[in-house]
Amino acid sequence: MRIVRNILSGLADLMREISDQNAYQRHLTEHGTTHSAEEWRRFSDERFRMKYQQVKCC
Amino acid sequence: MDSLKRFGIGIVWVAVWIAVAGGAAVCLGAIATSRGEHINSMWLVIAAVCSYLIGYRFYGKFIAARVMTLNETRATPAERLENGHDFVVTNKWIVFGQHFAAIAGPGPLVGPVLAAQFGYLPGVLWIIIGAVFGGAVQDFVILFASVRRDGKSLGQIAREEVGKVGGIVALITVLLIMIILLAVVSLVVVNALAGSPWGTFTIAATMPIAVLMGLYLRYWRPGKVLECSALGFVLTVGSVFGGQWIATSPLGPAFTLPAIALAVAIIVYGFLASALPVWLLLAPRGYLSTFVKLGVIVMLAIGILAVRPELQMPALTRFTDGTGPVFAGKVFPFCFITIACGAVSGFHALISSGTTPKMLARETHAWPVGYGCMLLESFVAVMAIIAACVMDPGVYFAVNAPAGVVGKTAEAAVTTISGWGFPVTADQMAAMARSVGETTLFSRTGGAPSFALGMAHIFAKGGGGDIVLGFWYHFAIMFEALFILTILDAGTRVGRFMLQDLLGQVWAPLGRTGWMPGVIGLSAAIVGAWGYFLIQGVRDPLGGVNALWPLFGIANQLLAGIALSIATTILLKMHGPKYMWITCVPLSWLVVVTFAAGWQKIFSPAPALGFLAQANQLKDALNAGKITGTGIGQTQSLIFNARLDAAVCGLFMLLVAIVLIDSLRLWYGIVSGGRERKVLESPFVMSRLQGEEA
Repeated sequence: MRIVRNILSGLADLMREISDQNAYQRHLTEHGTTHSAEEWRRFSDERFRMKYQQVKCC
Repeated sequence: MDSLKRFGIGIVWVAVWIAVAGGAAVCLGAIATSRGEHINSMWLVIAAVCSYLIGYRFYGKFIAARVMTLNETRATPAERLENGHDFVVTNKWIVFGQHFAAIAGPGPLVGPVLAAQFGYLPGVLWIIIGAVFGGAVQDFVILFASVRRDGKSLGQIAREEVGKVGGIVALITVLLIMIILLAVVSLVVVNALAGSPWGTFTIAATMPIAVLMGLYLRYWRPGKVLECSALGFVLTVGSVFGGQWIATSPLGPAFTLPAIALAVAIIVYGFLASALPVWLLLAPRGYLSTFVKLGVIVMLAIGILAVRPELQMPALTRFTDGTGPVFAGKVFPFCFITIACGAVSGFHALISSGTTPKMLARETHAWPVGYGCMLLESFVAVMAIIAACVMDPGVYFAVNAPAGVVGKTAEAAVTTISGWGFPVTADQMAAMARSVGETTLFSRTGGAPSFALGMAHIFAKGGGGDIVLGFWYHFAIMFEALFILTILDAGTRVGRFMLQDLLGQVWAPLGRTGWMPGVIGLSAAIVGAWGYFLIQGVRDPLGGVNALWPLFGIANQLLAGIALSIATTILLKMHGPKYMWITCVPLSWLVVVTFAAGWQKIFSPAPALGFLAQANQLKDALNAGKITGTGIGQTQSLIFNARLDAAVCGLFMLLVAIVLIDSLRLWYGIVSGGRERKVLESPFVMSRLQGEEA
């Protein structure tokens, strides 16, 4: 049961990481700020700028 | 007592590994020796899984422990340079998922499907052996090298380890490969959607869906990416259902587009995606595509395990002699460049020296992430070859062979294909087209439709039968097109940045990412470059894939050659010649394969294979007055294109030859003692991460 719970929580964590939600939480913690539309836009602009300068594989 | 217990556990593990090795040997032996009878796909699955386990546990561990001496206590760039953005200490399995999502594109799906024209055997052996001894080693060593060098890129490592020439050549090669890659993947989408209102509507619908998601995330529910992706997924699945209705409605003809119109639409899309704000189109599509990609790959694996389909394709076909209709060329060297991603892919080296090294918490994580992810991608390629080979070979060739080879009518095509010994009838093809909601499945080249057919059959057998075949076929087309378009828009953007980097040195304003004339002009230049090759592929009487896919395969494998040269240089500097063979063996193989394939593509006297022979044949026909009217202009452009392809192929070979010669010079210097063996790693810093944190 614990293994299943660990796998599910790992999957949920992976999904949050892929969707940048974890990165956003880290951003909020690092800047000591709380979630707001403006903060998300600031974070995502910076995040996407870096993300879309990287090549994607074939 | 404890030592007795440990001894007992040791014995059990030895027995387990002997059983795994035995499983790999028996299954590989069975698929290699089986002739004239259909074998179950599980032989391939077990052979692959057992080989990967052995490769990972023993070869991977040997490289990790003895060659790279991965150090658990050495702080990684993610820890030392942590900034919350690029350098972030991340859980091992999350980095694994991120890295896999970045390296797995359409390549491991399309390449194996095309190479199935030789039969399943050459492709499967190359995918398994190539990944264990080549692809996984390359990804692993480059990831390690980047981790030990502050997460530097392949170009930077090349410049520092091999020399300035190597660095510049690597950058130019990457840009050229991207242009060919973008052209060939967009051709795959065009060929899958031409004349298909269902598919065209579904893909067209993903664009407003992505824009809606972008607005949702930006203004309505900022930060709720998972919620937004779930909404996007529901709408996308709805568009697959909607496409069926559209195809039979009065709107159907509006979505029934010829290949050339689709090519123009994709070019316009590529330009817009490169110039529009990222949050509006690229980012939401990227999220959706990643989730769909991972979900479908897992579903396909479950489907194959549940259905355990039998392979209809023989182990080897008559086309190993080079007369294949899907693409020209003998099994050697063309099987090994057609399947690039899935066995060895130079592009992976860019990911392994991109975001991944900046996220690893421990050096030792490079083993599962670098080596393990490549094995998983290789398994995706095995699943793709299974999907292609579960179809009747006659159907496979009817779908994948261009009209220029098999004939323009259904009767001509089935006569030609049946004459090759792969019986197929026009009624069979018509029934199959009806069952998936298409008007025809003849000559749907590019690999995507036949992969979608195979996948749909596996899913339909798993439950629902023929009633759901159409849905699964179009779901598979949507899945392939979705992440091909993601590569297209992201690739165009990255290509524009690279060009800005290069041209910014010549004239500073061109290098500024915020200067709109520069952004628009250079986006147009990149789109124009891949768009030119796309149009060329659409107009090619042999379907375009025949010319472009080998060109892309050669380019990708040549990039792997550059990456393995750099890896060899690093191993040589670390240990002297003792462990050079680890990267030198796959490097030598790739050099032989790619230069042989490149030479044949340029100079083969067979017009179906050699670009120059094709140009000469067309020129002779023109001079003899066999072509008249509007055909003259078209033929002249075909002649120009064939010569251009030859020049591009020659340029790739020349660039890689420069890097190889530069590397050989350096290796000789080090081995003979004439040059210093200086390892350019960042200094050792003790990790302060505790077990839990890492």
